[in-house]
Amino acid sequence: MRYGAGPQLKRDLTRLAVLAAAYLMLMLFVKNSYYQLILTLVPVWALFGVSWNILSGYGGQLSFGHASFFGIGAYTVTLAVVYWSLSPWLGIVLGMVLGGLAAVAIGTPTFRLRGHYFALSMLAYPLAILYVLQYLGFQEVSIPMHRDNPVAFMEFSEPRIYTLIAVCLLVAGVAVSLIIENSRFGLALLAIRQNELAAEAAGINARLWKMRSLVVSGMIAAVVGGFYARVLLVITPDSVFGMLVSAQAVVVTLFGGVASVWGPLIGAAILVPLAETLQAELGTYLPGIQGVIYGLAIIGIMLLAPDGLFWTIRDRWFRPKGAAPIPDVAPMTVASRPVRAGVPLLVVENVSRAFGGLKAVSEVSFSVTEGEILGIIGPNGAGKTTLFNVLNGVLSADEGSAQLSGQQMLGRKTFEVCRMGVGRTFQVVRSFPRLPVIDNVIVGAYGAGLSDRDAIASAVRALRQVGLQDQSGMAAGQLTNKQLRLMELARALAGNPRLLLLDETLAGLGREECDSVLTVLAGLREHGMTICIIEHTMHAMMRLADRFVVLDHGRVLATGLPRAVVEDSSVIEAYLGKKWLARQNA
Amino acid sequence: MDLEILVENVLNAVTAGITIGCIYGLMCIGLGLIFGVMRIVNFAQGELLMLGMFASFYLVTGGKALAFLGPYWGPFVGAICAAPIVFVGGALLHKFLLSRVSGLRTAGTLDEGHFGQLIVTLGISLILQNGGQIVFGSTPVAVRTPLSAEAFLIGPVYGGATVFLNKAKLIAFVVAILVAVVLYMTLEYTRLGKALRASADNPTAATYMGIEVDRAYRVAFGLGAAITAVAGGLMATYISFGPFVGFDYVIIMYSGVVLGGMGSILGAFWGGLTVGFVQQFSALILPPQLQNAAIFVVFLMIVLLRPQGLFGRSAERA
Amino acid sequence: MLEVRDLSVAYGGLRALTDVSLSVAEGRFVTLVGPNGAGKSTLFKTISGVVPPVSGTITFAGENLLARRPSDRAHLGIAHVPEGRQVFKTLTVRENLEMGAYPKAGRAQWTQTLDRIHTLFPILAERAGQMAGTLSGGEQQMLAIGRGLACAPRLLMLDEPSMGLAPSVAEMIFDRISQIHREDGLTILLVEQRVAEALERSDRGYVLETGHIVLEGSYETLLSDDRVRRSYLGLTEA
Repeated sequence: MRYGAGPQLKRDLTRLAVLAAAYLMLMLFVKNSYYQLILTLVPVWALFGVSWNILSGYGGQLSFGHASFFGIGAYTVTLAVVYWSLSPWLGIVLGMVLGGLAAVAIGTPTFRLRGHYFALSMLAYPLAILYVLQYLGFQEVSIPMHRDNPVAFMEFSEPRIYTLIAVCLLVAGVAVSLIIENSRFGLALLAIRQNELAAEAAGINARLWKMRSLVVSGMIAAVVGGFYARVLLVITPDSVFGMLVSAQAVVVTLFGGVASVWGPLIGAAILVPLAETLQAELGTYLPGIQGVIYGLAIIGIMLLAPDGLFWTIRDRWFRPKGAAPIPDVAPMTVASRPVRAGVPLLVVENVSRAFGGLKAVSEVSFSVTEGEILGIIGPNGAGKTTLFNVLNGVLSADEGSAQLSGQQMLGRKTFEVCRMGVGRTFQVVRSFPRLPVIDNVIVGAYGAGLSDRDAIASAVRALRQVGLQDQSGMAAGQLTNKQLRLMELARALAGNPRLLLLDETLAGLGREECDSVLTVLAGLREHGMTICIIEHTMHAMMRLADRFVVLDHGRVLATGLPRAVVEDSSVIEAYLGKKWLARQNA
Repeated sequence: MDLEILVENVLNAVTAGITIGCIYGLMCIGLGLIFGVMRIVNFAQGELLMLGMFASFYLVTGGKALAFLGPYWGPFVGAICAAPIVFVGGALLHKFLLSRVSGLRTAGTLDEGHFGQLIVTLGISLILQNGGQIVFGSTPVAVRTPLSAEAFLIGPVYGGATVFLNKAKLIAFVVAILVAVVLYMTLEYTRLGKALRASADNPTAATYMGIEVDRAYRVAFGLGAAITAVAGGLMATYISFGPFVGFDYVIIMYSGVVLGGMGSILGAFWGGLTVGFVQQFSALILPPQLQNAAIFVVFLMIVLLRPQGLFGRSAERA
Repeated sequence: MLEVRDLSVAYGGLRALTDVSLSVAEGRFVTLVGPNGAGKSTLFKTISGVVPPVSGTITFAGENLLARRPSDRAHLGIAHVPEGRQVFKTLTVRENLEMGAYPKAGRAQWTQTLDRIHTLFPILAERAGQMAGTLSGGEQQMLAIGRGLACAPRLLMLDEPSMGLAPSVAEMIFDRISQIHREDGLTILLVEQRVAEALERSDRGYVLETGHIVLEGSYETLLSDDRVRRSYLGLTEA
């Protein structure tokens, strides 16, 4: 569980219980059978939205084909009753298992894609299944009645029982979603959604977490589909695998609020009764009014409140009053690493990387000794960030090697390099603006594989190291630029790295801000951290770095002590031009 | 199987593949302009196809506006006349809805605005489909032409094997090629076409040249919509359709564009042609319902195995 | 002709420029130099209308540029040669030049302008039908400059034309820019990292460091001032 998750979870579950109770009381008053059906359908579609939210809301992997799982659940339950006389109670469980398996089968190839290719491909699956089913003759399948044993076959004369079951399923599903939200699972998904690259650099195995989220999502969706089939009694391929079904999950969640478990509930509570009622009243004159309403709803939301109703309302009227209490956890004690002077920690040999015909990095060799701060400088376009990307596993190297204490770094995936003990910051800081600073930082600890308890302790220590301990509970969106940079640094530190790769940490900072960040970095060196930093702010680097490596056009131009390097004529020429040098020497 | 019958079936599949494939090619060019060139993911492209069909239908039969042209010319002229109507519609959609989630506004963001585009165009798709059901009704209609029942006979070739060239499809094929050629010439040789290509290539530099990129995108979107609509109008002469027909063709269009390679309009045409071929050939071995499933499988395979298609640059892969 | 007054720009959450003022008189060749991260490109982008300023004014021949759309600049007579060339890679060399001539002024004088471009850069005539994306760095830079000239501009703005080019190629590019200034009397604003190459041909120079103008003057003044070197190599004190 994340820090503060315990009490948060209790609060949310209580809210959930209250809502459920209120809803069930409402249910007791409704007599009209059509409205009773609507009361059952609202939690059904809400749960479907909750399942979609886990994959596409938390994880950001937009899927247009959730009907695959819904339909699998529906058909499993139906066919199980028809062919094996299997009770729908068991059929739903069976559907859940099949949904999970389908998720693995679908996810394995499809997660190799991203963005709109992923969304469109997910669309193809339910439609392919739909066509196959139509071909196989399952045009319309109905669940037969079993009057001899009604309860076992989920047959109740009182329609309200179905609403009760629906609410129970919803409560269970929301509880699962809340647990995910409050655990490292949710944080990992959020990190992947924010910036998959940075998440990987923090040690998160994106592929694995995405698959997990799809499996959970698929299983819940299959359960909903199975129950839905039982309620409707008659299913057709289109009614459970069709486009409108997939759209329903998307619309309900986006409208209500994406990436929050309350969003689909709000969305379903508003849209489902609206659409169903309009369909009933006006359906004869305006067939398809339901689809039009859904279309208008999501266009409206996308243009006016892109995060959905929940977030818009919360941001506007329920802004958190102040910082949440600071974690009352002792910071992890890590003894200062003894620095073995002169022992190289990172040895880079002959690394090259070309794009097309252009050699961005060309035969670069240098080494970093333990406890040293190495400044990597050079004119624009010299290949500095490309070098870091190669070291970090973001890009592959064409040739050369890089060893961290003797272990080969190149050729590994980004999150593996992080686990080896390499922390990386990026030029553009992407935080979770609504989450507290501690949550932003703890991602780095999770990525390094620390347990929940150790992770909190490590995050607290990291915040202390950068001087942000007083801001631990503040929402990251309220931090200043300098504080954001320090937070990013803390995230890298939370994973307890041996080597830090920092990319332009000081860019755009004013004089004083620069100074305070420099103090932090010097402090890290004192505790045995080894740092490799790319920077343009030369006057700062002169004070901070022990040595420089100068890159120009992808090659190493010079290495050595800062004073010596900046007096070196080839370096001056690279920065200021040959003519300048000639004039000075004339 | 009797060799003669096999040859006849294959030859007919080839001719059908070429004729229908070129119409698909035209349809894909429309999406290629929008998806490949503007990088807008338009989920509602199938509905633009559908609008083209209904526009042609009402021009020719409903409103009798083109009735004077008779049943031989009418349907094809109707298809072409659908273009300006859908052009305007598409441009309006872009101006009020899509420009907010695409173009310079979202260039450089992490997903280039695709999330917003998918959602907004999903909404447009839902509204057009279901709205279409309200306005047009759900009874399938078609743009009748007696040509759809007549065919040229070529042959006999190879024994008794005869090739049937359906007249309506043949004329549609010719019109499709003509429209594609006109579009190609416009893009290659006119100032407007070059401005469109420049805006697609590098919108920032295009702005520096004095080109108003937002307007260029609007024109491109309208053009892409209009082209697909013409293809729809042509298809209306040999299939019957309802407001939900667009959906069957979205995946065909995306398959064609992805197969041909992102950013390549010519590629989109070849992609559409290839997909048409696959569909007609699969008709030899697969029953009708599975033909569409086969297209989906092809789409998935392309996207997984060779997302850059035959002509394009690399796509988004994990 | 071009007046920038007290311009302050925030870009990506950072204070990129603070109270920057510079002016380019008609017919003059003005250079802006400075180290990496000084804000040179941000200034260029603000004049181009791509980045909005927090405060300050930019006027061109009396027109308030900030009130105009970015695409209006070319029609007013301001030509941009952007950082990294930014040629239209999928268009041919000839088509790139045609795009440069998009505004009315460009089209009106197209034949003369094209002649002039081909005289300055004969290689562009040779490679007229070639895809711009296949040209070398130096050739692309020539194309970008030619494209800028194609609109028959009143002001030519160049952003780091030497970036990524081998020194001898960069030298040639600077020669041509000089030539354009001398022979056509064109007003030029050059933004560059290479100090001496840029300054020696210009009438006036400004030095930008971390968003502030720290020095200005004639090129002789600037070249003999050690503050320039110290500013680039981090030897300036607080």
